Amino acid sequence: MPNDKLHIKKLYALSSENRKFSFSLPFKHSIKIGKRSYEVQLKHDDKYGTYILWKNRRYPVEIISSRQNKYEILFNDISYEFTVETPFSMQRMKVLKKQKGKAEKEYIKAPMPGKIIDVLVREGGLVLRGESVVVLEAMKMQNEILSPVNGHIVKVSAKPNTNVMKDDILVEIKVD
Amino acid sequence: MKIKRILIANRGEIAIRIMKTARIMKIETVAIKTAVEPNAMYLSFADVVYDNSEDVSDIPVFLDIDQLIDIALKMSADAIHPGYGFLAENAYFADKCIDNKIVFIGPSPDAIYKMGNKTIARKIAQANKIPMANGSEGNISNEDEAIKVAEKIGYPVIIKAASGGGGRGMRIVRKSEDMEKLFIIASKEAEKAFNDPSVFIEKYIENPKHIEFQILGDKKGNIIHLGERECSIQRKHQKLLEEAPSCALDEKLRKKMGDMAVLIAKAVNYYSAGTVEFLLDSDRKFYFMEMNTRIQVEHPVTEIITGIDIIEQQIRIANDEELEYKQSDIKLEGWAIECRINAEDVQAGFAPDPGRIEKLSMPEDSYVRVDTGIQAGSAIVSSYDSMIAKLIVKGKDRKEALLNCKKALDKVWIKGTKTTLPFFRMLVRHPKFQSGEFTTAFIEKDLEKFYYNSEYEELLAAWLATKLFIDENLQDNSINIDFRKSREMSPWLLNKRINQF
Repeated sequence: MPNDKLHIKKLYALSSENRKFSFSLPFKHSIKIGKRSYEVQLKHDDKYGTYILWKNRRYPVEIISSRQNKYEILFNDISYEFTVETPFSMQRMKVLKKQKGKAEKEYIKAPMPGKIIDVLVREGGLVLRGESVVVLEAMKMQNEILSPVNGHIVKVSAKPNTNVMKDDILVEIKVD
Repeated sequence: MKIKRILIANRGEIAIRIMKTARIMKIETVAIKTAVEPNAMYLSFADVVYDNSEDVSDIPVFLDIDQLIDIALKMSADAIHPGYGFLAENAYFADKCIDNKIVFIGPSPDAIYKMGNKTIARKIAQANKIPMANGSEGNISNEDEAIKVAEKIGYPVIIKAASGGGGRGMRIVRKSEDMEKLFIIASKEAEKAFNDPSVFIEKYIENPKHIEFQILGDKKGNIIHLGERECSIQRKHQKLLEEAPSCALDEKLRKKMGDMAVLIAKAVNYYSAGTVEFLLDSDRKFYFMEMNTRIQVEHPVTEIITGIDIIEQQIRIANDEELEYKQSDIKLEGWAIECRINAEDVQAGFAPDPGRIEKLSMPEDSYVRVDTGIQAGSAIVSSYDSMIAKLIVKGKDRKEALLNCKKALDKVWIKGTKTTLPFFRMLVRHPKFQSGEFTTAFIEKDLEKFYYNSEYEELLAAWLATKLFIDENLQDNSINIDFRKSREMSPWLLNKRINQF
C-alpha cells in the first residue's frame, strides 16, 4: 500500500469540454503566458464582491458549487465546470474511459424552471429524434422539449399541471 | 397644465423613466408599493407612495383595473400612465379611466381596441393599401380550416394570436403535418396569455429584418413619425438589442415606410406615442406587422437620435396640447444602441435566472444612458420580467456607437445572477452584426456560440478551481496531498463517472 502522503508535482483542471489546464506545484499566484509571468490575485471587497485581478483588470468570480473534486466557477458571467485531477486520478480516468460503452440512456431534463402543460409521450412508446416530448411553460412562453435521440420511453416523470425545477428529469429514454 | 398628479400603474425602470420626466414637468407622481417588491427602487422616485403591500392576491395590482381606478381616485391623481406591459394596451382600462374622469396617458380606447385585435388591424391596413403578408381573412376556428388556408397561402406560414403581442401565441409551420399540433399549442398559449384563443394565419416571411417606426400624434389629428428602430436581434420573438436608425434604410425607403406608418395611425385617429412594426425582406419589400399602442421598452434609442422626450410628448398630448413638431422638424442625428441586460442564463438557452442582485454598478460615461429599476440588494422576482437594466449607448455613427457599446459592456459590474452581458459582448464583436447584414434569424442560424470570453478567461477560471481544490484538500499548503482522503471519495466518484458514461 502507498504511503499516507503522496508526492504530487502537478494538478490538472479538466473542463467539461475536455480541455486540460495544468498547474505545477507548489501552486503559484501567477500565470505564465509566453515568457512573461502575470500575477493573479483573488480578492474580495464591499464594492465589487469577489473578483480576480489580472493584468490590471477586475473579473467578477463566483464559486457556484464544489463537490469533491468538481468545481463550477462563474467567471466574468460565464460558468465553467472543472474536475481537478492529480496525475494518479488522471491515469485512472483514462482507463475508465477506455472501458466506457455506448450511451444507452438519455435523460430529458427541464431546461428551465416552469410548469408542465402537456406530456406528449407515454411509457413504452417510441420516440424519434426531434419529436416533441413535453410542453413546458416558463415565463409565460410555451416551449416544446424535443427528444435528442431515437428510442423507447422508459419512464415519464413529468405530469401535466405540475411545476418543475431546472434540471428535473422529465422523461427517460432508452436509446435505440 | 391640467394634469397635476399622475398615478404610475407600473413598476421597475419604466416607472422611474416616467417619474423622471414628470418631475422635470413639475407634475407629481404616485407609485404603488407591492408585497412582492416592498423595497423596490422605483418607490423612491415618487412624490407619494400608495402602500398596497398588504394585498397578497395572485393578480398583481398593476393588472387590477378596479383597484387602480380606486387608488387613483383615493390619491387624487388626475391621470394614469400605464407604462408598457400590464394594462398598457387594454382598451377597457383606458375606457374606465375616462369614465372616472381620469386622463389615460395613451391613445383612445377605440385605437387600442382596433390595433390590439390583429384581425381588425389587418382589415384596416388592407383598406388603406398598406403592404401586408398574405393571410387568412379573419380568425381561424380549427385545425382543418388552418390546413386549408395554409395550403392556399403556401408554406411556411405563421400562426398568430388575434389578441397577441410580444411574441406569445406565435408558431411557424413549415409543413401541413405539423399544423394540427402547432395550431393547438398556439391557440392554448393565446388563451392563457390573452384570454382569447383566436388565432389567424399569415405567410411567414423568411429571414426578414424587424423595422419599426415611432409615431407621435395629437388629438387634433396631427401625426408624425420619429424615424425607425431596428430590432432584428431577437430570440423567440423577444427583442434583445435595438438600434436607431437602421442601416437597412436609406432616405427614400425611410420616407416610404414612415408615410405608411403615419397612414395606418391616421386610419384609427391615433393620438399619443405608438409604434408601427414592419418586416423588411431581402428584396427590401416591407410588410405591416402590427401597431403597438403604448410606449415601448426600446423608446430611448429614438429619444437619443431625435432629442425628443417621448414620455413628455405623451403627457402633453394627453393634456390636449398640439404637437410642437412637424415632420420636417424631425432630424435623425447620430446612432444609438440599446442592450437589454436581463437576468438570464445565456449558456442555458436564455433561461430566466432570478435572484438577488448583490452588486451593481453601471458605466457613467457621457456616451452612456442607463435606464434601470434595479440596484444592489434588489431582487429579480420570477413574477415579473427578468430585466436588470437597459444599457443605451450613442455614437456619431454606427461604428462609433458599436465601439462605445463594447467599452461600456466591459464596465458593467453585476453580481448575484447570470446576465445577458456575455451575449452582447459576443454580438458587438460578430462580423455579421458589425456589417449590419443580419436578420431576425441571426441568433438561430448564424451563431455557434452565444457568448464571448476573452482568450485567458477559461485559464483563469481553471486556476481558481485548482486553487480551491488545493485549499480544500492539501494540508498546510504543502505540496503533499492527503491520499487517504482522495481514496475515500473514489468509490463515489467512480460510481458517478460510470453513470455518466
